[in-house]
Amino acid sequence: MNVLPWIVAAWLFGIGLYGIVTSRNYVHLIGCLSVCQSATYVLLLGIGFVWGSKPPVFYDHPPGTPAVDPILHALVLTDIVVGAAVTALLLAIALQVQKRRGTIDPRRLRPMRDPE
Amino acid sequence: MTLAETLLPLAVLVPLGVGALLLGFAHWLTPRVADVASVTVAGFVAVLCAWLAREATGGAIVHWFGGWSPAVSGRPDVVLGIAFSADVASAAIAAFCGLLFAAAFMFAWSYFDEVNSHFHVLMLLFLAAMVGFCLTRDLFDLFVWFELMSIAAYALTAYPLGPSALDGAFNFTIVNSVASFMMLAGVGLLYARSGSLDYLLIGRTVGHAGADPVVLGGFCLIAVALLTKGACVPFHFWLADAHSVAPSPVSVIFSGVMVSVALFGLSKLVVLVFGGNPDILDLVRGALIWIGAATAVIGALTAWTQRHLKRLLAFSTIAHLGIMLTGVATAGGIGQAGLLLYLVGHGLVKGSLFMVAGMLLALRGSADEIDLYGKAKRLWPVGVTMALAGLLLGGLPVGLLHGGSHLLDRAVERSPLVHAAQVLATALTGAAVLRAALRIFAGISGAPGPERNGITEREHEKNVRPVWLMLTPAALLVLLVLMPSSVGERLARLGAGALVGRPAVAAVEPAGMLAQLLPVTLTLVILAGALLRRRPVRRAGRALVTAERLPFGGLGVLHSGLVGDYVAWAVLGLAGLSVASAWL
Repeated sequence: MNVLPWIVAAWLFGIGLYGIVTSRNYVHLIGCLSVCQSATYVLLLGIGFVWGSKPPVFYDHPPGTPAVDPILHALVLTDIVVGAAVTALLLAIALQVQKRRGTIDPRRLRPMRDPE
Repeated sequence: MTLAETLLPLAVLVPLGVGALLLGFAHWLTPRVADVASVTVAGFVAVLCAWLAREATGGAIVHWFGGWSPAVSGRPDVVLGIAFSADVASAAIAAFCGLLFAAAFMFAWSYFDEVNSHFHVLMLLFLAAMVGFCLTRDLFDLFVWFELMSIAAYALTAYPLGPSALDGAFNFTIVNSVASFMMLAGVGLLYARSGSLDYLLIGRTVGHAGADPVVLGGFCLIAVALLTKGACVPFHFWLADAHSVAPSPVSVIFSGVMVSVALFGLSKLVVLVFGGNPDILDLVRGALIWIGAATAVIGALTAWTQRHLKRLLAFSTIAHLGIMLTGVATAGGIGQAGLLLYLVGHGLVKGSLFMVAGMLLALRGSADEIDLYGKAKRLWPVGVTMALAGLLLGGLPVGLLHGGSHLLDRAVERSPLVHAAQVLATALTGAAVLRAALRIFAGISGAPGPERNGITEREHEKNVRPVWLMLTPAALLVLLVLMPSSVGERLARLGAGALVGRPAVAAVEPAGMLAQLLPVTLTLVILAGALLRRRPVRRAGRALVTAERLPFGGLGVLHSGLVGDYVAWAVLGLAGLSVASAWL
């Protein structure tokens, strides 16, 4: 198995986290979270990939021929759905925060602590 | 298929189905229908799961969805289907979830009328997710329930739409989402090695894997995800922000079961999936136990410095999760039994305490113990409930919580430091709750100590229901804790035995009188210290107070409320665990 997907996944996860830690804007922060999530897609697809094999659809080639692992595709698909739900919820929260507080800078929005 | 096997999926299907129906007819139903339906469904889940637990004493009840059992594939080592597996422990914990949800629905009666039963829909989704999390036998299925639980929880936290609620929900969502990505990556790594998602099949591969970095990495990622959900140091920061701003009926569930169920999930994985791998067990016994001890101490110290009741309770939950984690970390039968019993006892007490906080928010318009000084003397039945709960939390040697903590003591008896951390955390959190109870309901207190600088906020909750309706579930939960601990202990040993594959874990001998009374005595001593405290007038006294402020202030600075800091701590924790996995 190629080592490249592992490196790409780690890199994506790393820069996503870096973005979350340093972000000064909720919407940017949500974007960084999606970058982190993409790392898991790359990792899962990398795990299921088999060189020189076909898609796991046995419509035009006989069952038994090598194919990439469809279970990991199912996992990625589920994860995309979950990610969409979470992102939508977060954006809705960011919208409400902007409406109520007039800012979406995390440093000025801390629960139960009055903004300086 | 036996009757139990057939009925097993109903524990998840009924709350999901009723939730969907409520959502569909939300605009036509009167609010009482949603209240009645939710209490009934939660009660049904509790009864069904309790019955399943009884049926499972002879062996786990397994349901293969769609009939895709291993027998269908013709090869026992190929599992294509997804199974629910109800052993005694899992079914009992699921039943406990149902019970606590029923109490929370009762407590929330008519509180959420103007939102068209959306609260009930989210809560039923939450319940289904928790039950599924307990019963599943498939690692990816576990991840899906974990996510479903999280999403319902995020929405419920943000629900009041107040500024603090939104900020708290945002921090909660970000930190827990990062955790769930780690979990998914961990599931992927384990699948890469074993080619299966079934607990038992993965367990077989993991048992032969030795110090394979892929398996170790998978374990670290999954453990960190569950420790984040279970709010252990240094992944715990989100909890206090979320639990103190969520509506009280939701906080009951958050602190009562959500976080501890994550630790139950971790302990199940440690036993069923990773139990055969000595390298991982070394890591569990060598690292998690110290994380648990640190969590207990840090959570308890921070709880002591809070003046906002819900925040105080949230940090006390962190401390108690630390105590539970020490049980998980022993990876042995007695630790498991202790975890089960402690989880139930703590959930009942903490649920009741959050209801008391909710009552104060509704009836007195605040949850700040210093603002409320002596203002609730007329609500003395509430005060009695809170004092009793505080005493139980502080180690009063009766009831389920005490039984659990006795088992956990036994499980860690070879590490006196960990044991000391358990006792200290018990005493500090109990004393903090008692201090607040005396101050609010009796007007008895010393000069405010470090809690004076705690974070607080003016807020209130609607007062729309009679006092007795709010008090009844709170009092019932506390009375349930007073059940004789011998009964609970027997059940817990049976449940832990089912997890580790034995009929029952061996009985432990009862503790001596002195050991039994130690935590509660320490609780009362700390409480007395707080009550006798006077404003410092001499120079030495002032110097002492200044010196005291430094460490407590430091703890306050760590809990900064900034989501970036929280994620940085989580990454640091993951790195630490990974280094430990290479080293141990």
